Amino acid sequence: MASNGISTGSVRKRAIDRACLLRLALAVASITSTLGAASAVAQEAKLLPNERAFAFSARGVNERTIEARFIIADGYYLYRDRIKFTVEPGALAGATLPPGKLKEDQFFGKVETYRNQLVVKLPLDVAAPGGAVTVGAESQGCADIGVCYPPQLQKVTLSLPAAGGRPGMPVEAAPQKKSWLQ
Amino acid sequence: MTRQRWLLAAIGAVAVLAGAAWRQIVDDGGSSGAKLAGSTLLALALPDVSGREQTLQQWKGKVIVVNFWATWCEPCREEMPRFIKLQDEFGGKGLQFVGIAIDQSEKVQRFASDIHLNYPTLLGGYGAIELSKSAGNRYGALPFTVVLNRAGAIVHTQLGPVKDTQLRSMITQLL
Repeated sequence: MASNGISTGSVRKRAIDRACLLRLALAVASITSTLGAASAVAQEAKLLPNERAFAFSARGVNERTIEARFIIADGYYLYRDRIKFTVEPGALAGATLPPGKLKEDQFFGKVETYRNQLVVKLPLDVAAPGGAVTVGAESQGCADIGVCYPPQLQKVTLSLPAAGGRPGMPVEAAPQKKSWLQ
Repeated sequence: MTRQRWLLAAIGAVAVLAGAAWRQIVDDGGSSGAKLAGSTLLALALPDVSGREQTLQQWKGKVIVVNFWATWCEPCREEMPRFIKLQDEFGGKGLQFVGIAIDQSEKVQRFASDIHLNYPTLLGGYGAIELSKSAGNRYGALPFTVVLNRAGAIVHTQLGPVKDTQLRSMITQLL
């Protein structure tokens, strides 16, 4: 009798455990499914805003030279042929972008891209010792997860060093919308 | 006793997973709960490549797949041939792809001609990026795809390339 009682209780306990395990399995399946449905959202959550993916800064190196810099986040890249610099007031006396890494584009052929960091010296056509200059950097880049950002224009205003003075500290850009896109 | 501990551990794991799922939904910040109504998207008037204003309203009653794209977006260009195939396959059954290009007209025309685009594409400009943001595309990145059912309600939004199997399955369910 006692033996039977123990046996019945044990069977019942195992049945309860099995039901409990089944419910747990269903709960896990349901949660896994929820997480799966949120994967597109997660992909977006992983993205950085344009201006943080491609952080622009500039500093005055001397009275006639500005150093422009993009810090490119890991997993992101900029297109070389979509980078343009401007200065106000005045003009640039040319700016040579370093060669990028070659990338094969299905439609545009070979394109050059930059990752990690891009540093470019921007010579002014006229020296402006101690003068304030606004540098504009137009760029467009993508993330390896398969999305591209719209072109962006970032601007910084900096003071050039006086003649013979020490280079200035980098000034980071605030985001700005691009205007030519209608 | 061991079994009870195992159950407690399993319950704990479920609680952690549930917490993660909940955080993910909360962090979404309205991405899946897009603020944009399907009716707003349908009423939107945008020029086509020939300059004529078009609204998506003309395709109401069909399953509409709106794809925000640009020629400067390689992942966008890569997925468009798949859309062409789906439009071919399901167009007669009530599917309508519509592109909204964040781009310049001549570039769009050239690319559309190159790939033999078989569905209309409208010119969106920066305003269209803002529109896609209101549909949950937080950073205005491309490609971004919005699926509307026959009633004109937004049933799915996707940032980044859409998997062919996923889109095909969704389309067949909605048609």
